[in-house]
Amino acid sequence: MNLLRLFALAGMLPVISYGQLTLTGSVRDQNGEPLLGATVRWKENPTVGTQTDEDGRFSLVVTAASGTLIFSYVGFEEKEVAFSEANTTFHITLSTEKELEEVIVIGYGVQRKSDVTGAIASLRARDIEGLPHANLGTSITGKASGLYIKTPSGTPGAGLLVSVRGSENPLYVVDGIPMLSESNSALATSYDTQGNITGNGQNISSIADINPDDIASIEILKDASSASIYGARAANGVVLITTRRGAAGKTQFHFNAYSGLQTAARIIPFLSSDAFVALVEDARAQDLKKYEENPDYFGPDFDPAVLTTPLPESWFTGVNTNWLDEVLQPAPIASVQLSASGGTERNRYYISNAYFDQQGIVINSYYRRFTSRLNFDQTASERVTFGENLSITYSRNRRSFNDDTYTGIITNALGCSPLMPPYDENGNYSDYTQYQAAWLSDNPILSANEIIAFSNSYRFLGSIYANYTFSPAWALRSSVAADFTYLTDDQFWSPLTADASALGGKAFNGSFKQLIWLNENTLTFSQAWNDAHHLNAVTGFTLQRNQQNRLGITGQGFPPGSNLQTVQSAALITSHDASASRWSLVSFLGRVQYDFRSRYLVSASMRADGSSRFGPDNRFGLFPAASVGWRLSDEPFFPKTNFLSDLKFRLSFGLTGDQEIGDFQYISFWTPVSYNGQAGLGPRNLADPRLRWQSNQKFNAGLDYEFFDGRINGSIEYFRETKYDLLSEDALPGTSGFSSITRNAGRIRNSGFEFQVEATPIQQAVTWQVGFNLSYLNNEVLDLTTDSLLLYAYNDLAPTHILAIGHPQGSFWGVRYLGVDPLTGDPIYDDLNGDGIIDDNDATIIGKALPDYFGGLHTSLRYRNWMLDIATSFNIGNQVYNLIRGEYLSLGYSPEGWDANNVLYMVYSNNSTEANDRWKQPGDQTDIPRASLINSHNYQNSTQNLEDASFWRFNDITLSYVFRQVAGLSRLRLYVQVQNAWVFTRYSGFDPEVSSTGGSDLNTTGVDYAAYPKARTFLFGVNASF
Amino acid sequence: MKKNCLVFVLLLALASCESFLDLTPPDEVTDDQVLTSAEGLLSARIGMYNALQHDAYYGGFFPLMIDAYSDNGAAGGYDAPQLNQFNEKNLGADNIFIDNYWVAAYQVIYTANRILRSVDEIQDASLSDALRADVKGEALAIRALAHFDLLRTFGEHWDLQSAWGIPLMNEHDDPVQPKGRASVADCYNFILNDLQQARQLVSADDLAYGTGLKTAAYITPQAVAALLARVSLYQKDYPAAVAYATEVIQNSSYMLLDDPVLIYQQRLTPESIFELQFTAQDQSQYNNLTYVRDDALRVDVYFLANRLLNDFFQARPGDRRSQLVNFDPASNDGSIQPDGRTQKYRGEESRDNPAYVIRLAEMYLIRAEAAAMLGDLATCQNDLQTLAQKRGYTLPPVTANNFMDLVQDERRAELNFEGHRYLDLARIGKVAEVLGEHVLPVFPIPINQILASGGLIEQYPGY
Repeated sequence: MNLLRLFALAGMLPVISYGQLTLTGSVRDQNGEPLLGATVRWKENPTVGTQTDEDGRFSLVVTAASGTLIFSYVGFEEKEVAFSEANTTFHITLSTEKELEEVIVIGYGVQRKSDVTGAIASLRARDIEGLPHANLGTSITGKASGLYIKTPSGTPGAGLLVSVRGSENPLYVVDGIPMLSESNSALATSYDTQGNITGNGQNISSIADINPDDIASIEILKDASSASIYGARAANGVVLITTRRGAAGKTQFHFNAYSGLQTAARIIPFLSSDAFVALVEDARAQDLKKYEENPDYFGPDFDPAVLTTPLPESWFTGVNTNWLDEVLQPAPIASVQLSASGGTERNRYYISNAYFDQQGIVINSYYRRFTSRLNFDQTASERVTFGENLSITYSRNRRSFNDDTYTGIITNALGCSPLMPPYDENGNYSDYTQYQAAWLSDNPILSANEIIAFSNSYRFLGSIYANYTFSPAWALRSSVAADFTYLTDDQFWSPLTADASALGGKAFNGSFKQLIWLNENTLTFSQAWNDAHHLNAVTGFTLQRNQQNRLGITGQGFPPGSNLQTVQSAALITSHDASASRWSLVSFLGRVQYDFRSRYLVSASMRADGSSRFGPDNRFGLFPAASVGWRLSDEPFFPKTNFLSDLKFRLSFGLTGDQEIGDFQYISFWTPVSYNGQAGLGPRNLADPRLRWQSNQKFNAGLDYEFFDGRINGSIEYFRETKYDLLSEDALPGTSGFSSITRNAGRIRNSGFEFQVEATPIQQAVTWQVGFNLSYLNNEVLDLTTDSLLLYAYNDLAPTHILAIGHPQGSFWGVRYLGVDPLTGDPIYDDLNGDGIIDDNDATIIGKALPDYFGGLHTSLRYRNWMLDIATSFNIGNQVYNLIRGEYLSLGYSPEGWDANNVLYMVYSNNSTEANDRWKQPGDQTDIPRASLINSHNYQNSTQNLEDASFWRFNDITLSYVFRQVAGLSRLRLYVQVQNAWVFTRYSGFDPEVSSTGGSDLNTTGVDYAAYPKARTFLFGVNASF
Repeated sequence: MKKNCLVFVLLLALASCESFLDLTPPDEVTDDQVLTSAEGLLSARIGMYNALQHDAYYGGFFPLMIDAYSDNGAAGGYDAPQLNQFNEKNLGADNIFIDNYWVAAYQVIYTANRILRSVDEIQDASLSDALRADVKGEALAIRALAHFDLLRTFGEHWDLQSAWGIPLMNEHDDPVQPKGRASVADCYNFILNDLQQARQLVSADDLAYGTGLKTAAYITPQAVAALLARVSLYQKDYPAAVAYATEVIQNSSYMLLDDPVLIYQQRLTPESIFELQFTAQDQSQYNNLTYVRDDALRVDVYFLANRLLNDFFQARPGDRRSQLVNFDPASNDGSIQPDGRTQKYRGEESRDNPAYVIRLAEMYLIRAEAAAMLGDLATCQNDLQTLAQKRGYTLPPVTANNFMDLVQDERRAELNFEGHRYLDLARIGKVAEVLGEHVLPVFPIPINQILASGGLIEQYPGY
């Protein structure tokens, strides 16, 4: 908007010519450091301007005898100084902008932060600068209230779970192009032992294609008044991402590079061979004692010989393999980026190239990404500007097999017998069936080497726009954008793998192609009267269409010894898929913002969206919102003190929507099937023709405050959001022939408080800044068609979750564990129905996956050229269902792993060292039951494996030093950083932020089934400008 | 003026919106387009057979679960509660395999009902009356098959007075509306009515593709008769059971093979009356669930052969059917022993094992049992003898006291891992005796189904 006003102004004012003056001087910051690239403009004729050089110096020729110069620099307060023939030399000091004066991006426009009436969290480049993360999400973790960012897996290139006020999957708008963070890969990495896909496992995020170094700002629109301009898709909040653009002046180069080493941040320690054997012997001894007390204890047919027959030699080979050491490795990470920006007042550009390379800490996995960006703006005339954004990304991901679920590398390494060597004496992979852990489904090293899976992604994201300024007040903008993705998946199981040994090798080749195009047209009106009334209005019309195609072929039987790996060489094609889908969206939008001296602020907006995903009668949804703001501190009666320098109240209310269901769900379809070699059609779904938009009613009350002229500032928010007409896979009575139907059913409420404060307690030679934010969130299911449905995170395990009215989403379901009987060492479970049997009939609601409180604390300390930054984040009150612990804390249990001679050769699994705290003799007070060979003493779906996963994580610790004017560089910053430095938590697994099912379904989130562990990263980095 | 301009643009945009938003999926056909022509009817017919192939139903789980919940089977798998319930004979209402089976069986019924609702309405000159009748008859027979499978799993099928039947879905029901249990008598009436109608309609000829006679891959008149024989036996209508079984036995298309192993190595042998076909591109789960690969561990195999089945065959010298189950320590991993693996579903590469829905041997067994119940021990002796002899086993003499045990043993030897044992035990009232006092003769209704029906479907007492 500022830009617009500027050009409008330029068109209006006549240029008065009196002669020439040469104006010179320098521009520095408060610390006396010269500012390179600060803009110096002639106010009366803004097309005349220049930029400062390395020493902050400038020289500008104006064709007037007097006038005003404007000095500006991003992140600093603008300054105006008069010049005349007598006054042509200037030494200007710019001071950093006050928070409230900043201009932030809102949907279809920009706004001064002080005039905002909605709830918007805003992060500038300087908030994320020099925090070299693979993904833009991780760098903002803990920095904005109400925003909960979770990395459910440590997989390189993994997706992030971003939730805004308890709603997962916000809409991302990158330079005006709306997109969802989707995993478009068809390559499953989660299979059960039958070879059926059990889940998506690790998620690859399409947002990961955005290079974090290119980002200029991130705004998170949390409430209705800010988000509903994105109407139909804003139910879960909106994240606006703006990339860097060029500014007129001398070309500036930025070089950013870092490299470092990642190691597993937290390890689950496992028993050594000796301790493992001791555990098994203890299990037999404990059971023998039971048997001697009561020979019927294990049933009438029990043969106690299995408890006394000496263990065979295979238990005493002296092999002691630490399996996590075998599958984990210290892994390098590196990134290098070079950008150039600059231009003239008429054409400005930003161009960058970057390469990112992350090896996985699990062997044989990596993620590599090349990105190029060109952003260009041209001022063609006083009325016309146009430009483009273009980004091209190629990424290659070597996927770790079965991250997060059965039969995977990590899964098998947990609980693998320490007596098994990775390779046998002939150098072949050890045959896992010959060793002591029944839990195994393959040698983890073999899985890592012999299952070869790649996903390659090619992404083109581009838009062109044109602005036409009719008059100072009126302007028209039109843009066309395209988002094209081409993704290929290649997966090969060699005949050595357990999965493909009977098939002679197996391969999957797939591809995914998606084109999204978008046309947006907006008309804006902006006018000020008497410097008191400001009116700003925008109306627009947008069209969007998404087309996607999938191909996938699975084949088996490969020429022996050929090392050929694509289905071209397969003897038998076992499945194929070639499918397409599409959707489109038509929208009308409008917004009016008015303020009186920035004291009284009113805003109203409306968006009408029509979506092809709904039937003709229900296509259009209306999403209105309104908000008011009152700057109390501007009132005449408000005491003008330095103490409380700014105070503003905000209220907003409105509707946003959601269309995130599959395409064509409102019609019943028949889908191609076959029988006995004949083609036919089978019913796909039952449809509800009344299917319509889901709505999210949002209320927000906020307060912005500033003490001591901005030294302390922040905000407090209360919000209450009700999602109704929830688009859900609603349970149907199975007698219909279907388990669910897509329909509008149910209501869910998220409500809570947010508190944010930024303070600069010391601002002298030493500058100390600290920021803190805290969010409280209460999620409650208000209404459902079918109450208390049991949900399965994995479909061959017992139900893990329940969706019930009056409880939050992600409520855990299981049996209550009461502890260990100190006399017998047996586990005690709560026999709810009192039938004497502990089974799933005794299950109840036992916990929840969502935190009560979450937030972050970050601080930075600056002394001369030194800077220390620490960013932390925390979660309080959430739990994790550690199902994998139910497998590896098996306490010597054996599923009949003995032969006809009662020689024991196999128990269920090796145990973590937690097993050392087990009950050993009467009187022991412990949570871990006694070891037992015959009885399983770990009830997987019980509170025995439900853990408090509250944590406080030190995300980044960064120490940096800045040189100025060194070795031909205008600025050089060197830094060392530790990422994920430490996590304070009582959680026993790899990481408390886990969600093995991918977690994007809030209803079954918070389950740990051996997720890819997270890395701790040590980095050294350089930022250079010249 | 500006305003007018804007309104005009908006109107123009609105007009073009509708077409912009009218998209159709490239790979699917809307419900109202399918059952409108002869071709569409044939497509839907294939869809109906495809529905029977669902993993949770005749694609593998249904028959194997029935055996796993008996003295024939045991469950392997990881220490998964859902499978352990089968091992411990302690099924719970939260068992997802049962839930999946429930929905899959009703999906077959839904598909059949869609055909039945429209088949008489199709206006298409190329649709012959014979084909129309044939497809209708097949749909009725398949609907009866699915309802009967549900009845014998979830209902008190042995007690005609019982109120514990299953929800019956006919073609006029709104599928979305929940429905409660019908009485057992009503269930039998409904099923028998469907089968009797089907008997009048189903053709022996392959009218759909014109390739002569239908194979056992499809519903034939004999398949309908065989189903009637089975239902009559469960219903204790012994004369009918004898009559229908006799009709099938006397049909010259069928004969007992000299080597029973061939039934499972070949496809559509003369022993099969209705054998659901799978292909390498359209695989079944049988091999995956019972064999996996040569060196599979116990945790890899969902459904194992119980050691008790080994004991059973040990006492039957010469019985060639013992080759169809392998307890040999040399070919089973130690973790599987002393249990073993059935050999009926081999072929690890193509995994196209068919579902043996109904076979000729069962007809002999039905007639033997029904005849004996009617006092005709000679027929019983004769039928059992015929079958046992073919299988290499010498049968002891049949008496009024031992015929039931002999019939059930013969059924166990012949039909293990084809989905009969637990249902047979329930039918003859021996679940508690054979499987344990606490084991109920009826599966629990899945808890989510009770919830989704709004409590209209009542849980079987004891669960």
